[in-house]
Amino acid sequence: MSTERGRHRPLSSLVFRTAALGAGVAAVAFARRWLDVVEVQGSSMAPVLLPGEWLLVERRTYTRRRPREGEIVLAADPRERSRELIKRVAAVDADSGTLDLRGDAPEASTDSRTFGAIPVDRVRWRVIARYWPAARAARL
Amino acid sequence: MRNPLRPRRRVHAHCDIPCGIYDPAQARIEAESCYKIIEKYNGSSDELLRARCIDIKEERAELTKHHIDVLWHDYFKPEHLEKFPDLHDVCWKASKAASKVKQTTDLEAAKELLGLIDKIDEMWRASGGPEKTRLQAVAA
Repeated sequence: MSTERGRHRPLSSLVFRTAALGAGVAAVAFARRWLDVVEVQGSSMAPVLLPGEWLLVERRTYTRRRPREGEIVLAADPRERSRELIKRVAAVDADSGTLDLRGDAPEASTDSRTFGAIPVDRVRWRVIARYWPAARAARL
Repeated sequence: MRNPLRPRRRVHAHCDIPCGIYDPAQARIEAESCYKIIEKYNGSSDELLRARCIDIKEERAELTKHHIDVLWHDYFKPEHLEKFPDLHDVCWKASKAASKVKQTTDLEAAKELLGLIDKIDEMWRASGGPEKTRLQAVAA
């Protein structure tokens, strides 16, 4: 009896686990189309975001509407495209379709004051939350 | 092993190198040298010493001007100008005073230069410079 149960249980549990794992992988792959995680480098967003913190970012919102003042966004550095910057939207110029991006720590930030306003369509990712360090986990 | 929760994607809360070490004391020390050298120049009849005084004074005055310019161009930002409306005027006058000290052996010019550097120093202090643009502690 015990051998029969022993034979059936791992089988059903294996099927269940495979299905759960498959669903999980599919969900993550699906979500990854508009969700991602990033690590902060540099301190121009201090004290809100500190170097080494891990953030959740998404790119769905800006397919439906423009970035708004006060939101924290990602944008390619206009002076070095391979580098992705994280800054706050300080102002939205609807006429020219550009964003003024600034670091929260002006003394320690290179931003639109140096490289000028950024075309609104270059900004796709919005920062939504910090998940690490756990003690500082928060919506942003 | 690498933490699987750690994001691979890095985003830069960017600040250009040099990363924000500023202190008007640097300009002040060079300007004090100029002041003292002019005193020595005026108090001496030794031609060799006087010639050396001129030489060194020009070099120190040029350094003073350089340090003033760095504060003016790099440290001060538009928000400081809002707070200190005479910011440009003071920095401009200080640069000009440094030029005058370079050109002449006028002790009054050196005094004026020191006074203007002190005004820059006041603005630097009032904008949180000592806490933000000097190292508070150096890790061992």
